[in-house]
Amino acid sequence: MRNMIGINRMPIWIISLALFAFFLLPARSYGQGEEVTSYINRYKQNEVSTGYYEEYEMRPGNESPLVKTFHRVDRKPFAYSSTAASIRNRSLLADSHRGIKFYDNRRCEECHINETQDIHTTRANLTCRQCHGPEPIAGIDHYYSPMNPIRRHAYVCAKCHQGAGASFAGYVIHEPPAGSSAARADFPALYYSYWFMMALLAGTLAFFIPHTILTGVREMFKRKKG
Amino acid sequence: MMQTVRIKRFNILDRIFHVFLILTFLTQTATGFSRLFLPTAWGKSLNAVFGGYDTSILIHKWVGILMICGFIFHTLYLLTRIDYNHLWVSLFGPDSLIPTVQDAKHLWQRILWFFGIGPQPGIGRWAYWEKFDYWAVYWGLPLLAITGVMLMYPVIASRYVPGWTLNIAVLLHRAEAILAVSYIFIVHFFVGHLRPSSFPMNEAMFAGSVPVEELEEEKPVWFAQLKAEGKLETEKANPPSLLYKIVYFIFGYAALGFGVYLLVNGVINSQYITLH
Repeated sequence: MRNMIGINRMPIWIISLALFAFFLLPARSYGQGEEVTSYINRYKQNEVSTGYYEEYEMRPGNESPLVKTFHRVDRKPFAYSSTAASIRNRSLLADSHRGIKFYDNRRCEECHINETQDIHTTRANLTCRQCHGPEPIAGIDHYYSPMNPIRRHAYVCAKCHQGAGASFAGYVIHEPPAGSSAARADFPALYYSYWFMMALLAGTLAFFIPHTILTGVREMFKRKKG
Repeated sequence: MMQTVRIKRFNILDRIFHVFLILTFLTQTATGFSRLFLPTAWGKSLNAVFGGYDTSILIHKWVGILMICGFIFHTLYLLTRIDYNHLWVSLFGPDSLIPTVQDAKHLWQRILWFFGIGPQPGIGRWAYWEKFDYWAVYWGLPLLAITGVMLMYPVIASRYVPGWTLNIAVLLHRAEAILAVSYIFIVHFFVGHLRPSSFPMNEAMFAGSVPVEELEEEKPVWFAQLKAEGKLETEKANPPSLLYKIVYFIFGYAALGFGVYLLVNGVINSQYITLH
C-alpha cells in the first residue's frame, strides 16, 4: 500500500504551501493586476477623461494654471467669407473650417505653418491627418471631437503611445516658441524655464570665458622663480 | 639629475571616475547632438555613425543609465569620505570641496591679480574654479538624469506629473546639455590644456600626482598644510611610467579633439536648431 500523507499532517502541508506561495510566488499584481497609480491620481484622471466631477458635468480643461488655452483663434482683420465673419470661436465647431473659401484646394500648412514645427511633425514625420483626422476636421473643443481633451488620450495619443492617460495628453504638441511672448501668455512655465536656462548659460560662459582667458594671459607674464 | 618629487593628488578611484565621465560624457554628447542637429547635414552624418535615429537614442539611453549608476556610486563614495567624528572640519575644512567664504575672497584676489594689482591668492587644496567644475557636474547630472528618465518613460512619468511637464523636461534636458557641453569643451579644456601652466596637458588627473614645485607654485596653502602635517614625505608618489604617459596623452588628446570637433560643428550649426 502506498505511503499516504496522514490526515493529521495535512495542516502542516497546507500551511507550508500557503507560506511558500505567499512569500516566494510573485505577487498578484505582477501577473494579474492592472498597473495603477494612487487613488488621487486615478480619480483625477477619471475626472478629466469622463468630463464628470462627482455627478456634475464639467468642461474639459487643462490641469494646471501654468498652462492656459492653446487653441486661441486668431481673427484676421478681413474674414475669409461672410459666413466666416460670424464665427467667433472655431474650436467649438463640428467643422472647424466652415466658411473658408476654396478650402478644398488649400493645404494645412498654408495657414497653420507654425503648427508644422513641432517634434511630431519634424521628427516622427506625422501628417496633420494622422491626429486631426479626415474631413470635416472637428474643432478640438467640440463635444464629439476625438481631439476633445476628455477623450483625446484614448482616441488620438494612444494610437502610438500605448497606455496614454489624460495627463499624458496634457503634453503640449504645438508648443509656442519657448522664449516668445506667446509662451509667456500661454505657457509661462516653459517661458520662465527657457529664460532661466538661458541666463544660466549666458552667465556661466560670460563669467568663465573671460576668467580663463585672463588666467592664460596673466600666466604668460608670470615671473619665473630663481 | 635629481628626480622630481611628486605628491599624490587623486587616488585611483578619482581617476577611474574621471575617465568614466570622459567616455560617457563624450558618448552622450555625440549621440545627443546627432539627434539635436538632425535637421542639418552634419547632424545626419553624425547620426549615421551611431546607426541612425533609433539606434542613436538606444545608445544614449543605455549610456545614460550607466551614468546614473556612476552618479549613485560616486555619491556613496562621497559619503564614505566624510569624517563623521569631525563633521564641521570635514565639510568646511581645507580638504573639502564645499565652497566657502574663502573662495569668494580668492575670486576677488584673483581678479585683482589678473590686472597686476595684487598678489596671487593663497589657493588651498581645491581652487574655487575646481570646486565649480565639480559641482557643475554634480548638479547637472541629476537634472539630466531626471528629465532623461521622464522622457524615456513619458507615459509612466505622466501618471505622476502633469503631461505638460514633459515639454519642460525636453527644454531642460537640451539646455542643460548645451550648458554642460559648452562649459566643458571651452572652459575645462582651456584650463586643462591651453593655459601656460598646464600646456600641453595637465597630467594630475591621469598621473594622480603633481610635481612638488608645481604644487608650491599653484597651491601654496595646500603645500604649507602638507608641510605642517609632515605629509610631504608620506604622500610621495612615483612618477608615471613612460608607457602610461603615452597612453594618457593619446587618450587625452583624442578626447580633446573629439570634443572640440563636436563644439565647433555645434556652433556652426546652432542656427538651425531650437531648444524645444
